[in-house]
Amino acid sequence: MFLLHYVTSVGIQLSGNPVRALFGDRQPPQSLIDAISARVGLGDPCLRQPFNPCFGLFWDRLTGIFMNFDFGVNLRQRDVTDLVFEALPFTLRLAILAFIFEAVIGVAAGVLAGLRGGSFWDYLVKISTVLAISVPVFILGVTIREFLNVALGNWLRDQAWVPDVISVGVFSAGFKVDYPWASTIMPAVVLAALSLATTARLTRTSIMENIRSDYVRTAKAKGLTRKRVIGVHTLRNSLIPVVTFLGVDFGALMGGAVITETIFNIPGVGSLVARSARSGEASVVIGVVSFLVLVFLLANLIVDILYAVLDPRIRYD
Amino acid sequence: MKVAVGTAVIALFAAGCTQAPSTPATPDDSGGELRIYASEPAFLVPTAADDDPSIQVIRQVYRGLVKYNPETGAAENDLAESITSTDNTTWTIKIKSGYKFTNGEAVNSDAFIRAWNYAAYGPNAQNNSYFMGRIAGIENMSSTDPDGEDGPQTAPEPAAKELSGLKKVDDLTFTVQLSAPFSGFPATIGYSGFFPVAQACLADFDACNETPIGNGPYKIEGSWQHNIGITLVRNADYAGADKGKADKLSYKIYADVDAGYAAFQSGELDVMYTIPPARYQEAKGQLGDRLYEKPSNTYTYLGIPMYNAAFAKKEFRQALSMAIDRQAIIDAVFNGRFTPAVGVVSPLFDGYRPNVCANCKLDVAKAKTLLEQAGGWPAGQKLQLWANAGAGHDAWLKAVGDQLKANLGIDYELVVNLEFPAYLETAGNEGFTGPFRLGWGPDYPVVETYLAPLYGTGGSSNNSGYSNPQFDNLIKQGDGASTLAEGITFYQQAEDIIVEDLPVIPMWFGKVTAVYGDGVDKFIYNNISGVSYGEITLKKS
Repeated sequence: MFLLHYVTSVGIQLSGNPVRALFGDRQPPQSLIDAISARVGLGDPCLRQPFNPCFGLFWDRLTGIFMNFDFGVNLRQRDVTDLVFEALPFTLRLAILAFIFEAVIGVAAGVLAGLRGGSFWDYLVKISTVLAISVPVFILGVTIREFLNVALGNWLRDQAWVPDVISVGVFSAGFKVDYPWASTIMPAVVLAALSLATTARLTRTSIMENIRSDYVRTAKAKGLTRKRVIGVHTLRNSLIPVVTFLGVDFGALMGGAVITETIFNIPGVGSLVARSARSGEASVVIGVVSFLVLVFLLANLIVDILYAVLDPRIRYD
Repeated sequence: MKVAVGTAVIALFAAGCTQAPSTPATPDDSGGELRIYASEPAFLVPTAADDDPSIQVIRQVYRGLVKYNPETGAAENDLAESITSTDNTTWTIKIKSGYKFTNGEAVNSDAFIRAWNYAAYGPNAQNNSYFMGRIAGIENMSSTDPDGEDGPQTAPEPAAKELSGLKKVDDLTFTVQLSAPFSGFPATIGYSGFFPVAQACLADFDACNETPIGNGPYKIEGSWQHNIGITLVRNADYAGADKGKADKLSYKIYADVDAGYAAFQSGELDVMYTIPPARYQEAKGQLGDRLYEKPSNTYTYLGIPMYNAAFAKKEFRQALSMAIDRQAIIDAVFNGRFTPAVGVVSPLFDGYRPNVCANCKLDVAKAKTLLEQAGGWPAGQKLQLWANAGAGHDAWLKAVGDQLKANLGIDYELVVNLEFPAYLETAGNEGFTGPFRLGWGPDYPVVETYLAPLYGTGGSSNNSGYSNPQFDNLIKQGDGASTLAEGITFYQQAEDIIVEDLPVIPMWFGKVTAVYGDGVDKFIYNNISGVSYGEITLKKS
């Protein structure tokens, strides 16, 4: 937190008061700049002394955040808490969809490939995951938007037989309030693509390892059905590294939302951060990051609990 | 191309027909929902909003005393019955009766006096306080910190809460006294910062910002959905004749212009007032005459630090200006999306004269002679060219430098590492060591706005540090002239001084590049106030 505060403060100290930039080429009276700076919490004189750590301002911010739940205001004088709570539902929807996509398809593909090592499916999963990992998110995002959502979407919208929820919703060029879930599917696919590939590869390796282990052979020897051997004995044990990854990755999903949300115009936390960083709104960036830390901690708590569910040997005393 | 011209001519004839007095105004030129590309506005209260996205919404929700003619840009009375003055200092404004805010309050003289006082009062921190600067008493409305920004004391409360220059005569009449005569005053108050505000709006500013209490042809449906959209519907109580064409204006907010263009391509938007620069050529091919282009008022120039001795000689500045091939840079770097500046006044303004700046055209031979007359450029020294960082100015500035090097043999280096706020501070502190990029957009449609603030002694945006008593005098004479038309002749003489003296090197004026969809029947653009969303008609499906 202090690091973030310090970096943003030095940014303002070195590059000037962002309030001045609001007026562009016009030189506003100093009294007006002072009045606005004071309102948006940039009035502290330490912000004009390069490399001053601004402890006073940091303390004010901390007490504001933790004692009064006051995250300050942005340059347009709106409460940061309002901004974040407005944006959060959109990002959560996106993250949940991406997470489902990543967990379900990733694990399924991993199992399919892991069980039939060397088969057509194995190669398909291997090649497609390498492709997914090697394409940067913004290229994938823009490509999907231009070719699937606009070009193919326009064709679909001309076809009478395609229901609106598909042509106008799923293949929408950006987020639409009328189809909140449908129009988030494509962005979620883009957001999940990278992690999905990692999940699939992790699951595949883990399954391949476990399927040769003693307890699986024992289970088979006992004459259990194949379903039970794979579903309960192999998969459950193989999921531990995958779940660890998914937990850590939930935080990364919130981060990846910065790019995906900008491309698909989702008014979520990611695009909020992107906009605020561009206009130098330190209080917003600090506020959002504090929220993300909470989300991240929560996700990892869930992961820790899941360990015990998956592997009875892990116990929390 | 011929086909396009043909349809344009037919469209003109058709437009002429519908406007003929014999044809009764038919209701079928209106209706439908116009879907508009928008960016997130900063504020929806006129006194606070000074950015384009905000003003585009405010102009439909609010109405002011004056509006601008879509073709000529001349000021015409809107809510004002009359605006008169005998000495250009004290203006008497009469308001038409019958206009109301959406909460039932009357739009009377109080509504204007209230708004202007609120904007001018320093502690309110309204972005438009700057525009109240000509009204008498402004100096008492704000106070400065007695021991500077860094001292422990804070600024005391200003001496006055109301502008002494605003006086109510009766419910529909008030007078405005200016600190100095200004013949262009009526044209200035068409800016949205001068629009009226309801009592209830100032009582709860934040609520009014979310759900505006307007007095215009449209009113908000629900409230402002931040970063998603703003929906306006017809205001049935609006007393004016121009009730708006579309039934509904849906502003859809995009954080990124590329995402907006993708939405336009998939038929989700009817009008975009701008497009991504990279898609310009493609759009031109695909959309044909649905791509609307026109020179705009945004002015880009290279300022000269007159406070630096190296730039003191007029001949040297002229040599620099004549060594730059503006059109070549525009074509190479910007796909031709700008109009070379051959003067310092927007081509759309009343009082513009074409080709007024002889020193703004490429003439390498003459530039070389002028450079010699000025004593040349010290060998081995580099000319520093300044621009703010991260805004894409490097490419064209480099092109300017390359031309100077090729044509005059002056080596250059770019100084493009300052962020915009720090850059502007450098400008304010007279810290530039070479030509610097800056821009200007007009405050009101009087040519004076391109002259006095930029080149007047102590002008609010005079970053060159230029000072010329003769110029100041001409501006004063123009301000005090009995009519605006007469004033323009003085302003033009002032422009002549600037294009000769060149305290800045004029570069170019912008170009509006708007696109509109298949469903739009008639696209209307106002030279001063931009796309007139309320006037755009949609095709009947």
